[in-house]
Amino acid sequence: MNYQEKYNDDILRQYINPERIEKAPEGFTSKVMTRIQIEKVPLRAADMSQKKNLVPVISTAVIILLLAAAFFIPGKEVDPLVHPVATFFNNIKVSLPEFNLSSIVRLNLPSVIRYVFIGTVILTLFDRALYGIFHREK
Amino acid sequence: MDYYKGDIFYIEQILAGKSNAFSYIVDRHKNKAYNLAFRICGNHEEAEEIAQDSFLKAYRSLKNFKMKSSFATWLYRIVYNNAISHIRIKKKGVLSLEDFPADATDFIGSNTTEDEAEKEYRSSLVNFALQKINEEERGLISLYYYEEMSTDEISDVTGISKSNIKVKLFRARQKMQEIIEKVEKKKLIYHELPGKI
Repeated sequence: MNYQEKYNDDILRQYINPERIEKAPEGFTSKVMTRIQIEKVPLRAADMSQKKNLVPVISTAVIILLLAAAFFIPGKEVDPLVHPVATFFNNIKVSLPEFNLSSIVRLNLPSVIRYVFIGTVILTLFDRALYGIFHREK
Repeated sequence: MDYYKGDIFYIEQILAGKSNAFSYIVDRHKNKAYNLAFRICGNHEEAEEIAQDSFLKAYRSLKNFKMKSSFATWLYRIVYNNAISHIRIKKKGVLSLEDFPADATDFIGSNTTEDEAEKEYRSSLVNFALQKINEEERGLISLYYYEEMSTDEISDVTGISKSNIKVKLFRARQKMQEIIEKVEKKKLIYHELPGKI
């Protein structure tokens, strides 16, 4: 504190008595408690926001897992995961126009793309499921 | 429940569903919360409203309270912010020096001595000077002089940096000192008026 500050501080301390505090009026506590009872104040769920923060974390973890799987699981001639799905779509001959899916299956795409596609589908379903859960909690 | 148990004990009780435990918390902190609200807004009714609202807000947000820090500091932060926003909404007219009584004898009641009246006068003069500075400065002066907090603690409550607090406190002190000096000068002139003993 410089001289000016010290001077101002001294003057204020002559007038301010910290022991002299304004006390809350009679019945203050009961008024607050009554308001809590009347308004039925809910304890705000902090974990709700924490749960919401979990969604991107889980999604990222799933994507990383899928990408890791694409890199580390050795590719086979007949992919056990993609083959049944591709066959299923290839066999669809309802009233829909037939698409030549064999060209897509024959495409020599890196396996990562297939995993990413399947991952996106799973994440979409996952997102809808989470949305349903949090929507109910509201 | 034991009144002398720490805040954390009661907070855990409340979070476990015993909402009545909050009354111990209110009882323990009501005077300091009320005092801070009063110093900032300068009105008893408004101070009660602000303090009550702050406790309700604290109750609602109790789950967000990090048990590592002091509950009192956390509560002060709520009271301080509530009081400041309350004042900003209800901007009051500027007080004039004429609004303050010129003589300590104005504070003498039926059972008060001259000494008590002088103390009452000084206290009212400080409250008057507080109302003449802005709400943020008022809050800082209250925390520093009445709650006797360090600049570090004030920084925790207000969110203002330590160096900025020092600057603002310097300005606030200077303004208050000027107001006090003006009122005291007015008091001297009043006593020098012919017919005054």
